Amino acid sequence: MTNTIEIKNLNYRKNYRSILEDVNLNIESGKTVGLLGENGAGKTTLMRLIAGVAKGASGSITVAGKNGVPEKKSFISFSEQLDGFNPSMRIDKIIRFYEDVYPDFSTEKYNQMAGFLQIDEGLRLSALSKGMKEKLVIGLTLSRDTKVYLLDEPFGGIDSMSRKKIIQSIIKWKSDDAVILVSDHYVSEIASILDEVVIIKDRTIYTQKSAEEIRSKYAEGIEQYYESIYEGNDTND
Amino acid sequence: MKFDDKIPIYYQIKNYIYRQIIIGELAPGDKLPAVRQLAVDLTVNVNTVQRALGELISEKIIEPQRGKGNFVTEDKQTIEKLKKLLITDQLKELYENLHKLNVTDQEILNYLQDYINERKQVQS
Repeated sequence: MTNTIEIKNLNYRKNYRSILEDVNLNIESGKTVGLLGENGAGKTTLMRLIAGVAKGASGSITVAGKNGVPEKKSFISFSEQLDGFNPSMRIDKIIRFYEDVYPDFSTEKYNQMAGFLQIDEGLRLSALSKGMKEKLVIGLTLSRDTKVYLLDEPFGGIDSMSRKKIIQSIIKWKSDDAVILVSDHYVSEIASILDEVVIIKDRTIYTQKSAEEIRSKYAEGIEQYYESIYEGNDTND
Repeated sequence: MKFDDKIPIYYQIKNYIYRQIIIGELAPGDKLPAVRQLAVDLTVNVNTVQRALGELISEKIIEPQRGKGNFVTEDKQTIEKLKKLLITDQLKELYENLHKLNVTDQEILNYLQDYINERKQVQS
């Protein structure tokens, strides 16, 4: 299998503070990968660096064989929080913007999701609740047909019924070679759709393991395994 | 379907399909849902479903037909063997657990017979 994401010797500092150190990570084409770690561990930073939104890191990040930021961006659908949009902008305008900017944006997929997520397109961005905004973000992010999806804690404020439907849409629509990197600190809900987990701890990649391997080798659930690492009673390896 | 997160999911999918076949929910010659549909129904990764089906195919429980999909075997013997295997698994567990309680073979038989009689009475 080929690697869709290759990160080599990545170091990133911000305000004289080291955020990520010596990160090396390969993600194979087609994998759904859970990026786990405490708040502040660097999950969002790593996603922003992969997406090319955060800059100034040393080392290299290659996505689908490309190094240049504009090329990488065309392969990556990142669940950004729509901060670049004017708060008075109406949702239907934002959707039109996505249609115009991303040739791979599928209005049909979006409409299907918007249907079950009950997103009201007539509202302005500033009128959305936290959960509603998250639904819009995930809807927009998943409606592109691309190689890499970066979902940064996509389910925080979303009710469990909608979560389940979103997860089903992911399974239904993900093309066989697309990579999904999804961060979360509630692991149990996404555990069944993960091929691998990557755990960030102490500013670097602590481990990368197959989800089924964790279950068969340690007879542990993903959540349990993750917690054992953070609690420091890791008896593995 | 609810999965136990401590047990490999591909293995739980295999067991689920085994049971569907044994209870006749999936009859010999029936077509299985498409891989992606199974993944959506079970809320699992497509790769995991593929692994489970791959093993079922090598066990000859299901047979792939090019371009048509996967079908439950029509070989009665294979299904009979599968059923026996699942029953043996259950018996093995029961047997070993009772042995750990120092119950002898003859006692196991007696207890089992008594238990079956009790259940019959409850039902009638």
